[in-house]
Amino acid sequence: MKRVGVFVCWCGSNIAATVDIERVIAAARKMPNVVYASDNKYMCSELGQASIRESIEKENITRVVIASCSPRMHENTFRKTVAAAGLNPFYLEIANIREHCSWVHKEGEVGTVKAISLVRTAVAKAARNEPLTPSSLQITKRALVIGAGIAGIQAALDIADSGYQVDLVEKEPSIGGRMAQLDKTFPTLDCSACILTPKMVDVAQHDNITLHTYSVVEKVDGYVGNFTATIRKKSRGIDMEKCTGCGICYEKCPVKVDSEFEAGMAKRRAIYVPFPQAVPNKPVIDRENCRYFTQGKCKVCQKLCPAGAVDYELEDEVLTVEYGAIVVATGFDILDLQAYGEYGYGKHPDVLTSLEFERLVNASGPTGGKILRPSDGKPPRTVAFIQCVGSRDQAKGKAYCSKVCCMYTAKHAILLREKVPGAKPIVFYIDVRTPGKDYEEFYNRATDEYGATYIRGQVGKVYPEGDRLIIRGVDSLSARPVELEVDMVVLAVAVTARADAAGVGRMLGITTNAHQFFNEAHPKLRPVETHSAGIYLAGMCQGPKDIPEAVAQASAAAVKVVGLLNKDSLVGNPTVANVDESMCSGCLECTQVCPYDAIKEKSITERRGRETLTRTVAEVNEGLCQGCGACSVACRPGANNLKGFTNEQILAEVDAVCL
Amino acid sequence: MNLTEKMRQEAAQILESKEADLVIGWGGGEYYWQSPPLFLEDAAGAAELAFSPFIVNNLAKYLLEELESHEKAALFVKGCDTRGINRLLQDHRIQREAVLLIGVPCAGLADREKLKAAGYDAGLLQVERQGDSFILTLEGEEGAREVPAGEFLLDKCLECRYPNPLVYDRLLGEEVQKPRERDPMARVREVQKKPVDEKYAYWQEKLSRCIRCYACRNVCPACNCRECIFDQNAPRWVGKANQLSEKQNYNIIRSFHIAGRCIDCGECQRACPMDIPLMEINRKIIQDLTELYGEYEAGIDPTDVPPLGTYRAEDPAGFSER
Amino acid sequence: MSVAKEGFEPLIVAFCCNWCSYAGADLAGTGRMPYPANVRIVRVPCSSRVNPSFVIRAFQRGADGVIVAGCHPGDCHYHSGNFFTRRRLSVLRRLLEYMGIEPERFQVRWISGSEGAKFAQVMTDLTADIRALGPNRKLRDAL
Ligand SMILES: Cc1cc2nc3c(=O)[nH]c(=O)nc-3n(C[C@H](O)[C@H](O)[C@H](O)COP(=O)(O)OP(=O)(O)OC[C@H]3O[C@@H](n4cnc5c(N)ncnc54)[C@H](O)[C@@H]3O)c2cc1C
Ligand code: SF4
Ligand code: SF4
Ligand code: SF4
Ligand code: SF4
Ligand code: SF4
Ligand code: FES
Repeated sequence: MKRVGVFVCWCGSNIAATVDIERVIAAARKMPNVVYASDNKYMCSELGQASIRESIEKENITRVVIASCSPRMHENTFRKTVAAAGLNPFYLEIANIREHCSWVHKEGEVGTVKAISLVRTAVAKAARNEPLTPSSLQITKRALVIGAGIAGIQAALDIADSGYQVDLVEKEPSIGGRMAQLDKTFPTLDCSACILTPKMVDVAQHDNITLHTYSVVEKVDGYVGNFTATIRKKSRGIDMEKCTGCGICYEKCPVKVDSEFEAGMAKRRAIYVPFPQAVPNKPVIDRENCRYFTQGKCKVCQKLCPAGAVDYELEDEVLTVEYGAIVVATGFDILDLQAYGEYGYGKHPDVLTSLEFERLVNASGPTGGKILRPSDGKPPRTVAFIQCVGSRDQAKGKAYCSKVCCMYTAKHAILLREKVPGAKPIVFYIDVRTPGKDYEEFYNRATDEYGATYIRGQVGKVYPEGDRLIIRGVDSLSARPVELEVDMVVLAVAVTARADAAGVGRMLGITTNAHQFFNEAHPKLRPVETHSAGIYLAGMCQGPKDIPEAVAQASAAAVKVVGLLNKDSLVGNPTVANVDESMCSGCLECTQVCPYDAIKEKSITERRGRETLTRTVAEVNEGLCQGCGACSVACRPGANNLKGFTNEQILAEVDAVCL
Repeated sequence: MNLTEKMRQEAAQILESKEADLVIGWGGGEYYWQSPPLFLEDAAGAAELAFSPFIVNNLAKYLLEELESHEKAALFVKGCDTRGINRLLQDHRIQREAVLLIGVPCAGLADREKLKAAGYDAGLLQVERQGDSFILTLEGEEGAREVPAGEFLLDKCLECRYPNPLVYDRLLGEEVQKPRERDPMARVREVQKKPVDEKYAYWQEKLSRCIRCYACRNVCPACNCRECIFDQNAPRWVGKANQLSEKQNYNIIRSFHIAGRCIDCGECQRACPMDIPLMEINRKIIQDLTELYGEYEAGIDPTDVPPLGTYRAEDPAGFSER
Repeated sequence: MSVAKEGFEPLIVAFCCNWCSYAGADLAGTGRMPYPANVRIVRVPCSSRVNPSFVIRAFQRGADGVIVAGCHPGDCHYHSGNFFTRRRLSVLRRLLEYMGIEPERFQVRWISGSEGAKFAQVMTDLTADIRALGPNRKLRDAL
């Protein structure tokens, strides 16, 4: 027999003025399993709590019901009280007779009647409460950062500076991400490389950071504090120990292909370093294009290398490493312009994407920083910038605003004027959005100091005439058609999630939105967490943002990681799902509904008469389970049951509440 | 060779070659309409197998028990039966490698009740399918009579969409062409049209007949749990008292448990000794799921996810979301 | 079948998810927004914890109305719990209606933790609806 004690709180007059406490106590004494009932002016006060502890001991109470304010208020307080009296803290149930009763049912005696009903319900549940012990999880003191753009770099540095080991995994041969491709950055116009390169070097030299470039994370298992990741370090064909980074090898490579880093505006070799400031500054052999790998003959680079570092036989290396926390910082791509034939991109060499334009203005870019037309190498006199190409376009592109285009277009206009004196920047826009410190001022400089002309309206067509380009559009303010002759067109292309984002999300058990940007746990209050504990987001992979925002989010994610790794152990949530293997049919329906992928199939063997049978059952990973109970309902035979909210408990509550 | 012979030959060969250590098929009986399940471990028994227009039993569920004591079981399956196989596969209740499926294309089975109603039951010795007709072998003078098969088919066969096995290892005979002749949802729509209190009265009358024998559950390929909630004592999901509310509880929850999983085989209704139109409940759910969350047929593809195991963010609701 | 009675006080069982609707009820309390005392809340972690068997049980034991309340779709504390709730309980609600239970008697609503007023309003309206229908005899255990 369970011995239930009922403690009714007055909450001063908050409850007592409406609910007849005496009657509640008298009724409670008659409820099944109740051996004791008393009241107190303030149960949560030190005195009130002491009286609960004393009564538990004196009356040998084994289950406790406190009728008071909402459990969302004092459940933890009272659990501690119950624990202090030597009982399992989960032997407590609270009847919410304040928020759900005295405060809302003031007329007549309905409040008292309802309070009695709520107490009866809590008693019915408490009598079925089982002892629960939160699991204690160890934490691996090491973090994994996926993606080494500015966001990943910043997160890795902050975590490493706090004294924890970080592995930074980057799929490209060098770290740096998109920011390394940019020329100057708004709103200060400092040179991107000048502020990024020192950070890249810091990463390379940091004692606590292990860099894995040209590497991908193939698999992640486990849960907060205890992840296991499989990392494939793709073979560079270079012995990184021997290579000195002298660069002789790529000078004579016979293969030339478009350079990804230069956005296709220049060529690179099959053995190459993506850009001069690359970290690590050692080459990689692109096996898809290398003549030795495609045709079986060449080996020029190997012959040239003075260090004997070129080794075609080197194989991929696969590492399995354990981590306590993960930061995802995989960044962004830009929209494929196939659906936007009207702008003539790909047909006319002088129609560029904004990223190509960044390379064109960059001092280390294909033209050495001179803005020249790809078609004839002449400086353009008039350049049209078209904003919102693919952004805010539900029909053909992306419904969202890419956030950075307004600002970088103003930047491009300024840079054009600085590099080509007298040139005319003309910007087509839908709206100019400049929220951000010094952003509006920056835009004003573009128009006022640098004479950029802004035309509100959309461009319908771009086509060549002679060696120039004609732009046709509408000025939506005057509602008049516009036709302009320009020398170059720059398209502010929408930013998009990485093509593989959904796959990365599946691997990690985190979700993406309709546009494949990763979902944060709460759009306002938990912007760097994901729904999976221990996995955090930084940078563009979560949604369009500029560098300062990416960096801020990266530092925030780092703090979350450090806060987690700082703990000695994690206290698990004890109200988790549990599978009774003897009952489980192994249908695995429960696995399908779990938002955290916390249930896996497992094989068990058991004896049945003389036979040994192997069968499938479901198994809940208590580290991952958050206790929603969706699985317990998916389980038809009730083999899967949620601790703390079991089928028995809830059915008993329903029975009691209806009495 | 007729189908009976083919079945016998196949079974004997399977057992002799030890391809499987058990064959489950249909046997014959004293009366024309009997077709009891037959469990053969020995090739000699194959001669008892019999094909007739009464092989309505879906043998799939026997696998659950039989595979505990047999390595591999061979099973004769009609089109509708294979959806039950897929159901069990999808619920991970059987392994595909542990079963050898002998498909039997089925042009529709005969309904004894309809024969009875037409006055054919007494003195009827045998019913055989021949093209679009049933050939009735009668006692006494008349000998044989040919009747149009369509008039004597089981309702579920008139509504059948999968006369040919969906999954099998071997097929006996040619695939058949058989259009669906009746809209299975017609009854659901009729019941649905009734005013709410009439619906209640309708179901009260039907469900008050339920004796909670659980035959409907026992025969159902979707009800394949190791321990059904209705057999549990703690917690008690259904009370013992013989009262309408518990019968309603049982029938509502049973049908909810097979929501999105019911393969529309009609076995439950056939097994019910009290003639409760269970398919009118099961199909109501199939209809609603289709209406709300898109066309879905259970037991067609064992790798898909049933509608209650998934969602779309933009799903409609069957209630006001205000 | 359902006859409105003088002085009939309906019993309404409300399954509320801890994170939104239960919190919404708390807020209605903090804001002193009255609603009928006929509503009795059973707290569940998530609306997806509500088994149709619980709903039937409530009707068996004498509830005149049952409501399941959860976070708005997309806001579930457990991310996707209520998406499953929506599918399951849509099926259940239509099934109950088909079995002859007045649809007003079983409702599902999304009430967030900041919607105290909505909580009070929904419960007030629901109670009024059920009061108008009268006591529920359907699905109920014999007395
Ligand atoms: C044309 C243009 C101009 C811009 N100008 C400015 C400006 O002037 N000022 C400003 O503040 N912002 C500017 N921005 C925005 C700026 O580029 C971004 O805010 C910033 O680069 C985001 O950094 P990130 O680290 O989130 O992403 P990224 O820079 O994209 O870095 C992500 C990194 O992750 C790696 N990665 C991706 N997937 C994987 C994987 N599966 N495994 C391992 N590694 C992976 C990528 O290779 C990459 O190195 C501009 C953007 C564009 C398009
Ligand atoms: S739903 Fe239930 S029976 Fe099926 S695998 Fe999960 S726990 Fe087992
Ligand atoms: S209770 Fe929720 S989180 Fe836990 S295993 Fe079940 S579905 Fe997953
Ligand atoms: S509920 Fe009836 S029709 Fe559906 S699968 Fe089960 S036995 Fe067949
Ligand atoms: S009624 Fe439900 S619990 Fe019982 S066998 Fe069928 S699905 Fe399983
Ligand atoms: S077979 Fe018929 S009588 Fe038996 S439990 Fe099912 S519905 Fe009731
Ligand atoms: S937590 Fe509220 S519906 Fe899931």
